[in-house]
Amino acid sequence: MKRILVLTATALACAQQRAPKDYSKLVSANPRSILVVPVVNKSVEVNAPDYFLSTLSVPLAERGYYVFPVNAVKRMLEDDGLSDAALVHGTDPTRLCALFGADAVLFVTIEQWTSKFVLLSTQVSVEFEYVLKDGRSGEELWRERQVAVYASDSGGGGLAGAIAAAIVTKASPNYMGLARQANERALGYPGPGLPAGPYRPDYRKDLPAPDAATPARSAQTASATSPAPAAAPAANAAPVTPAQQQAPDPASKAPSK
Amino acid sequence: MRSLTRMGATAFLAGMALACAQQKTMYRWGGYDDALYRHYKNPQERDEFVAKLQGVIEEAEKTGGMVPPGCYAEYGWALYEEGRGSDAIAYFEKESKRWPESRPFMEKLIKNVARARPPATTPTAVPASSTGEEKK
Repeated sequence: MKRILVLTATALACAQQRAPKDYSKLVSANPRSILVVPVVNKSVEVNAPDYFLSTLSVPLAERGYYVFPVNAVKRMLEDDGLSDAALVHGTDPTRLCALFGADAVLFVTIEQWTSKFVLLSTQVSVEFEYVLKDGRSGEELWRERQVAVYASDSGGGGLAGAIAAAIVTKASPNYMGLARQANERALGYPGPGLPAGPYRPDYRKDLPAPDAATPARSAQTASATSPAPAAAPAANAAPVTPAQQQAPDPASKAPSK
Repeated sequence: MRSLTRMGATAFLAGMALACAQQKTMYRWGGYDDALYRHYKNPQERDEFVAKLQGVIEEAEKTGGMVPPGCYAEYGWALYEEGRGSDAIAYFEKESKRWPESRPFMEKLIKNVARARPPATTPTAVPASSTGEEKK
């Protein structure tokens, strides 16, 4: 009975991950370059958007796309009177792209950037939304949401150790590490992310073949073999979902340093 | 004592993992993201930011020319903000040459810098990368 539940969870997790992603628009738009505009902030940490902006170029460029210099873009937009990120995000993507000669524009929003005491540990969590829009049509090409959570552990020092570790984490939560993790997961492909861009050797080679028989076959193999190994990916996939449903807690406003 | 050894081993493994992870990147980033982060955190330490960007470029060029996208332009912009217009233009041209996708933006920046600069001074050190202008 338990096994069935786990398998159902796996199937559900797979379905949730795969079904909604439609890459046809992204593939046909075929962007070579991505403009990353300043990040919109929904957290209370005023510096978070700039800090987060600094983490985006590396993973995006490593996916094989030309990424516009984020700081130069930010300053130039400011010079043009667009210093408010929300204003930039509200601007017509085709106009933004035309300004820089970009094929596509990436809008990123910080949904969460908090640290709080939970029992004996400090829990640090970040959540981001990434939306890629086409520079010619303005249409949405790709979208992803990622959560990353870190909790300080006891460090083997018993109660006192746990409290000490929690205080250390609280004093300097490692947001940047979490942000990078979230980016890696968001942009990774195969996965929810972006297929290889023109500067990668696997450009146009990593796209799924338009072959309807493939998923059916893999399902068959899964049921034929022992279900035990299938439980392993479930254990991996499971923690992502509950974290995503985390309610925004009112306590997060309290520790404003 | 044993825990110390264990810590050492963990650190070693973590180091190995990091080294492996770094080898997998296409470009030589050399702390480009960290330079940006520090710049946003301590905007008053401009010299450090400019020096670090310069370091990223030199390091990458020395080891085979895989300067990451945006780096020349970011450095050029920093130079422009320092008031070093002609140096800035040189790096905007480098970006434009290395990454054709950047050309429209770089041309715009070059035009802006040229307009901001007093035209009376001697045209210094614009590299010969701009072909066709050799003959005067």
